[in-house]
Amino acid sequence: MQDDALSYVVGEEKGLCELLLDSEVQPLLEGMLAAGATSAAITDQDGDELWVARDPARLGKEIVSLPIRLEGEPVGALRIGGPDETAQTLTCIARLLGVAIDTLLRNNLKRILTTEIHTAVVNTSFDELVEINRQLTESETRYRQLAESLEQKVKERSAELKKALVHLLQQEKMAAVGQLAAGIAHEINNPLGFVTSNLHTLQKYVSRLITMVEYQKTLFGVRMDDEARMQHADHKWQELKINSIMTDVGDLLHESLNGAERVTRIVADLKGFSHVDEIGAVPVDINAELERTLSVLTHELGTHTTIDREFQPLPPFPCKPAILGQVFLNIIMNAVQAKPSDLELTLSTAWDGERIRISIADNGPGIPHDVRAKIFEPFFTTRQVGSGTGMGLAVVYDSVLKLGGMVAVTDSAAGGADFIITIPLERD
Amino acid sequence: MIEYDEQQRRMVLKLVYYGPALSGKTSNLLQLHEQLAKEGRGDLMVLDTTNDRTIFFDLLPFFLTTPSGLKIKVKVYTVPGQVRHDATRKAVLQRADGVAFIADSQRTETANNANSFASLEDNLAMVGLNIDALPLVIQFNKRDLADIVPEEDIRKTWEVAGFPVVMASALQGWGVVETFTKLVELLYDRIESRYRLSDEHGLAKADFVRHLTLVTAD
Repeated sequence: MQDDALSYVVGEEKGLCELLLDSEVQPLLEGMLAAGATSAAITDQDGDELWVARDPARLGKEIVSLPIRLEGEPVGALRIGGPDETAQTLTCIARLLGVAIDTLLRNNLKRILTTEIHTAVVNTSFDELVEINRQLTESETRYRQLAESLEQKVKERSAELKKALVHLLQQEKMAAVGQLAAGIAHEINNPLGFVTSNLHTLQKYVSRLITMVEYQKTLFGVRMDDEARMQHADHKWQELKINSIMTDVGDLLHESLNGAERVTRIVADLKGFSHVDEIGAVPVDINAELERTLSVLTHELGTHTTIDREFQPLPPFPCKPAILGQVFLNIIMNAVQAKPSDLELTLSTAWDGERIRISIADNGPGIPHDVRAKIFEPFFTTRQVGSGTGMGLAVVYDSVLKLGGMVAVTDSAAGGADFIITIPLERD
Repeated sequence: MIEYDEQQRRMVLKLVYYGPALSGKTSNLLQLHEQLAKEGRGDLMVLDTTNDRTIFFDLLPFFLTTPSGLKIKVKVYTVPGQVRHDATRKAVLQRADGVAFIADSQRTETANNANSFASLEDNLAMVGLNIDALPLVIQFNKRDLADIVPEEDIRKTWEVAGFPVVMASALQGWGVVETFTKLVELLYDRIESRYRLSDEHGLAKADFVRHLTLVTAD
């Protein structure tokens, strides 16, 4: 409680002087005189006069003394003095006066008590409100500070996350490149394998043929009859199995040349896919890009993969071809991972004059409706920890957006997923 | 104790009737005013109510003098029961020497009784009074009504804490003086040891209790 506030205890004793005002009492006592009394006084318990009215001109003796009670306890007296003759009347009037004073006392006490308790309650309530207000202000200040520092923290965090995201994308790319490289290495090693093996065999064959040719040359230099010469030559021919060599050599060479050609093609595809020589935007044949992506992924496509192509003629689309390649690669790899064996991929392209539409559909398990909105979000993955960072489709989404188009996923005819990319293209 | 003035030879004690709204606190005091002898006490003061709801408090004052000349005043207050008047209840409870908790026996009022008692505990603590040491009597009022909690259940729940429980119907006029008597007895026990009412002031327990609870002869 503040120092200047009224503070009291409910039940404090109140004295007569607190409860009666001079302005209330004096007129009553004067009235007594006017009624014929010689003196009218209110005294306390000890007999001391608190209020008095006296007629100095007349004499009289005490006629009546009535106790004044407060809350049942006698706290004083009303003493009336007057002439004997009018004693009876004065006594009656005195009793009236006693009732009046009693009424005054009650009412004043009531009023004072209600005022006091009202004040006490108001003060307490006010003090409580001030305290609540102080606490709320403190709280509000704390929250404001928190909000401000929070904003700052969010900014810092966002910057950190951006850096981490870039790093992660980089890592993902490297991982993808690594996987691709491994696949392609295998693709190249295959033909190189049998080409090398063939060359070894050819080496053996050539050495034998050389032996035969040299033998024949020697035979030409020695004197003998033709029949003997023929016999020697024949014998050597049989010994060196030249016949089988001659049948074999053609096939071996043909096969090896094919193998070498295949390697050349793979390297060309890879170089084309990586677009290593190109930096800026060039007109791109989307169908060709799709084919390139498929060939680079040959090793990844797994056992018994069927690919249906429904390509329509498309106008060239100006863009950085590496971006398109990445988009197709990520979507197709998604399909491969969803259905590692017996995958049926259907790739279709179309152009309606305003938009290019590319669809890559698979016969995998499909994408449930409740995650369809989330799959393009960074870090979203339904795979086990360590087997996918969840960035593949996020990159697809971002890249397609950068190309000015949109990507969405829907159900394919076979019950799997169908990724549909639409890119607007104004053709002059 | 409101006041103990050695010089003035005066002791002022306070008893408070507490309880949920409309449980019958004011009715209790009205009955006491009706039934007890007029000597040695003042009239019941009922402070400014609107439609019979207590806003401030009611006051029934008693007054006696011990053989030694010590003036003892016992002021009996009720508090407003409505929840919003908690500040008033705190103000009235200050320096109380005893409490009569008036509960409503109707089944529907069980929660209100519990809440009010909990608020009594809180408010006593807040004004610095120890509920374990304070004279406390519990009255279950309105026994005249229909859907009330049976007496055994009440005693099972409330007597475990060690408080005396009195059944009553202020409307029908019984149990009221009994409650007040019990409270006054506990009050005497509490004051006696500290102030030596019996030895020093010649006031025995029976006298104290009789003076405060004398019933008018009909």
